[in-house]
Amino acid sequence: MGTYIIKRMMTIIPIFLIAILITFGMIHLSPVDPAEAYLAAANIQPTAEMLAQKRQEFGLDQPLLVQYVNAVIQISKFDFGVSYVTNKPVWEEVSSRLPATIELTLASLVIAIVVSIPLGFLAGVRKNKGIDHFSRFLSFFGASIPSFWFGYLLIFFFSVKLDLFPVEGIGTWKHLVLPAITLALPLIALYTRLLRASVLENLQEPYVLFARTRGIHEKNIMAKHVLRSAISPMITGLGMNLGKLMTGAIIVEAVFSWPGFGRYFIEAIFNRDVPVIQCYVLLAAGLFLISNLIVDIIQMYIDPRISREGRQFQ
Amino acid sequence: MLHTKNKKLVLLIFIIFLTVSTVLIGCTSESVEKSEADAATESSDMITFSWPRDVGEMNPHAYNPSQMFAQSMVYEPLVSYEEGGELKPHLAESWEVSDDGKAYIFHLRQDVKFSDGSSFNAEIVKKNFDTILDNGDRHSWLGVIPLIDQTEVVDEYTFKFTLNEPYYPTIQELANVRPVRFLGEAGFPEDGDTSEGVEQPIGTGPWVLEEHKADQYATFKRNENYWGEHPSVEQIKVNVIPDAETRVLAFEKGELDVIFGEGVINIDAFNQLKSTGSYETSISEPVATRILVMNTNEETLSDIEVRQALHYAFNKQEIVESVTSNLEEKADNILSPNFPYASNVEATTIDYDVNKAEQLLDDAGWKMPEGKDIREKDGKPLEIELMYNSAESIQKIMAEALQSEWAKIGVKLNIDGVELPTQVERFSNNEFEMNFYSTSGAPYDPHYFINIVATEGFGFREAISSYPNKDELLSQIATVQQTTDENERQELYTSILSSLQEQGAIVPISYIRQIAIYQKDVSNFSFPANRDAHPFTGINIGE
Amino acid sequence: MIERLGVMVRSQKVMVFCSVILGLLLLITIFAPWIAPHDPTLVNVTAKLQGSSLAYPLGTDHLGRCTLSRMLYGARTSLGSATLIFMSSLSIGLIIGLIAGYKGGWVDQVLMRFADGVMAFPDLLLVLGLVGIWGAGLKQVLIALIFVQWVYYARVIRGVVLSLKEQSYITAAKISGSSQWKIMMKHIIPNVLPPLAIMGTLEIGWAIMHLSSMSFLGLGVQPPIPEWGAMIHEGKSYIRTNPLLMVYPGLMIMLVVVTFNLLGETLSERFGLNIDNKEGRIK
Repeated sequence: MGTYIIKRMMTIIPIFLIAILITFGMIHLSPVDPAEAYLAAANIQPTAEMLAQKRQEFGLDQPLLVQYVNAVIQISKFDFGVSYVTNKPVWEEVSSRLPATIELTLASLVIAIVVSIPLGFLAGVRKNKGIDHFSRFLSFFGASIPSFWFGYLLIFFFSVKLDLFPVEGIGTWKHLVLPAITLALPLIALYTRLLRASVLENLQEPYVLFARTRGIHEKNIMAKHVLRSAISPMITGLGMNLGKLMTGAIIVEAVFSWPGFGRYFIEAIFNRDVPVIQCYVLLAAGLFLISNLIVDIIQMYIDPRISREGRQFQ
Repeated sequence: MLHTKNKKLVLLIFIIFLTVSTVLIGCTSESVEKSEADAATESSDMITFSWPRDVGEMNPHAYNPSQMFAQSMVYEPLVSYEEGGELKPHLAESWEVSDDGKAYIFHLRQDVKFSDGSSFNAEIVKKNFDTILDNGDRHSWLGVIPLIDQTEVVDEYTFKFTLNEPYYPTIQELANVRPVRFLGEAGFPEDGDTSEGVEQPIGTGPWVLEEHKADQYATFKRNENYWGEHPSVEQIKVNVIPDAETRVLAFEKGELDVIFGEGVINIDAFNQLKSTGSYETSISEPVATRILVMNTNEETLSDIEVRQALHYAFNKQEIVESVTSNLEEKADNILSPNFPYASNVEATTIDYDVNKAEQLLDDAGWKMPEGKDIREKDGKPLEIELMYNSAESIQKIMAEALQSEWAKIGVKLNIDGVELPTQVERFSNNEFEMNFYSTSGAPYDPHYFINIVATEGFGFREAISSYPNKDELLSQIATVQQTTDENERQELYTSILSSLQEQGAIVPISYIRQIAIYQKDVSNFSFPANRDAHPFTGINIGE
Repeated sequence: MIERLGVMVRSQKVMVFCSVILGLLLLITIFAPWIAPHDPTLVNVTAKLQGSSLAYPLGTDHLGRCTLSRMLYGARTSLGSATLIFMSSLSIGLIIGLIAGYKGGWVDQVLMRFADGVMAFPDLLLVLGLVGIWGAGLKQVLIALIFVQWVYYARVIRGVVLSLKEQSYITAAKISGSSQWKIMMKHIIPNVLPPLAIMGTLEIGWAIMHLSSMSFLGLGVQPPIPEWGAMIHEGKSYIRTNPLLMVYPGLMIMLVVVTFNLLGETLSERFGLNIDNKEGRIK
């Protein structure tokens, strides 16, 4: 089991190196010259010698391979360079805004889990009953509604009309409710659907029939066996969706003026603040890979067949 | 897994949403009724304000992303810019200029203390000047900085600097919000160079930064050591709200006391809030001019007839009024006549006249071919590209309006929305055909505007390079900055501004105004004379 | 068996329903210039922000442009772009998947590791990054969306090719001396097309959603081109006074995305394909 974990961890490293290579290529193929962008942001009229000096400072005059290796070394030390706009280390800027984003994403994750587990489970058990129709409605609705639009509708009704929540800001739980719901909606849709399908599948399994014939109480079958085994694909889903959550957060933060990393990222895009953009993209990739890893490990504890089968990570 | 229910499901979703949308409209009229009754419940001695961006690092000598209104709350100039361009003593009690216009001597106020209690004197003035001059590259947009030859402490409260050559707007430029404002000793980093940041934001201003949470809020408290009249409110809280609509909603809910600025909220929302009568609103005098710059280096636009035709076919009155919902008025001059030296510009006023526009284009050889709707000359269609800042809604809307407008006379306008850094870069590299721009306004104009027109690398000098009278214009601009005689200066300005305008590559669009809207318990609000400064002087809240 | 038949009948109905909506959308897309009452970019500032009337059935926007016309033309932009994204990423994925699966060895390794790298990013995020560095605009967004999309097709196709390679008829064809390309064309392509068509249906909904998200952030479609996400972006400034300006395009996005998702799901169930529920994609 230990070797599986280590093996699995090792697969992340080359993928991450390729991810760095992709962002690296992206920046080098872009029409913006980092030296020029830097000077423009610092309000300095670029002269040829200044550009040359900045290029040297950024290491842009070195061969591409050297630049790439340097980039990898720096990134492994969480050194993402200096923001063109604020002239401060990107990591400093980013880490000060991360807590707000983490607060938002965790809250919506909690909402998603709390809503979708009972809903998906009941929908599966009571197929074609009222609760099932409701869950299916929510699944389709949640997956197809543009979150930026939904967010504004929530603001309009709950903040402006009903005056239940503040329209912007951060601090109390009241500030958190609407953005977290907006961000959670697509996840609720997905998890509910996943769990429902998985419950249905499990109900067909012979062990349920077996348990029933042995006279085990229906409630026990459901709670102890069906729910437990049905929840496994949902956990995988959780890992897969952390990335989705991070991108969703960008839009939700823009709508609700949430002072997190996502809003900062959008601002960076409009300022062409390349180091910040790069940092966000790589951070998201890293988080995405690691959360998948963790999910795999959890899965393995729940369902040890995985390691025995020696499931290969593609 | 799928049911016929799905069909009903989809239907149901839409029925619900249609109902929702109907309710939405129904409710809109009610929302107007919301009064200021639930206005800011916090301390009655605090004003809550909002700004689209974080206040920044509060370094008096730095630019973006530091916000000027915040810098002006904490840091003060030697000279202040007042109504109508009048320059008044501020940290300097008085000043003298030598007859050759090169030496400037400032007598400083003696009762000024920094917010940490340290005293304000000629030493600290020199220290600030020196670090600004050390980073001269960053500040070279300001004409006076590259000209300063030396700085000198004459005695404890007398400071002097000398220029390489006379430069009349020196005093004007010292009134700017940045960079010539003063940081206290304790604020300087060890090496005395503020270009990489400051230790603490210590200034002499009426406000002191108390708490700052990046991207969330900043609170300023009254400076109890302030030398001038103390503010009557104790605290100003600045909430960072990037989205204009959210700002309006927050204001309506009473989460904000004051909204102030340019383009900080949608003008229709402003008018609608105003019409409820539940809030106080005000509109400032013109603070700057929105202009359209045509690049005369482009073959098509090098022809004055084409430039004029485009101007004639621009229904400024109607577009400006409706795009800005009557907030701004159409501009006939590059600088609003309420600016210094700008009152008697003589140039032909161009009024909307489609026939004349068509005539001019015909004369210039751009004819409408049979069966087409775009004019051609030598087989080349009349196509022009207009660049605009995609984050600026007024530029965007105007670009769209112009596109539709000029299509009527057979001109195809391609509009290209770009981010601000790209806009600046392309403008200064002369990689554009048409661009939006706004003059800098008070306290910079007129000297700053004509300065950038004459300086390479800002975009204007390149853009007007095929003016026939370009050399004369440039030499006039060079002379005006060195004039010491008031009448001569006035004459030169009139001539420069008139001919810039007559040649038609710089098309004035409208005069920009600032807006303010505040809850009824806020009183004594006034707009700052300096466009970039904070509006909190004298402001009051509550009883 | 009866159960199976039931599924068939029910899915039949859903498909009819979806096809009707899609057919309507297709008609709108093609005939927008004839159906639309006005030119969608025609500015008439004196008639701005009007409610619905005979001349403007859905009212006008902040520039006095006809909202209905913009919605109809918006279908063009959205569906057109989505189709373009689908076709391009499919073609690229098809070529690369075929090469990787058929050649194997280091070619396969290099291509698939690169694909892993692309998939290491949450998709919309990589799109945002690309657009952030290259600048906003429809072209950039399209390229970016294609760039993150082709990998999924490539992987599916590679998988199919690998499994077919083992099958006897391909081996037989090889032995009998058919050229490699002939084998691919004859045996592999017909086998991979049905799952790809289903994937495509799901992806079109995905692409429309992402394109409109980008436009909403102001990074996608640039004015004056009408697009639903951009219309929401513009309309949000008037949410208090003219909320319908942003309600209509939001409804359209929902309608289209729901339809494509329903159709994709129904199709995949019908053909007995297994949707990878974790990501809503086909394995």
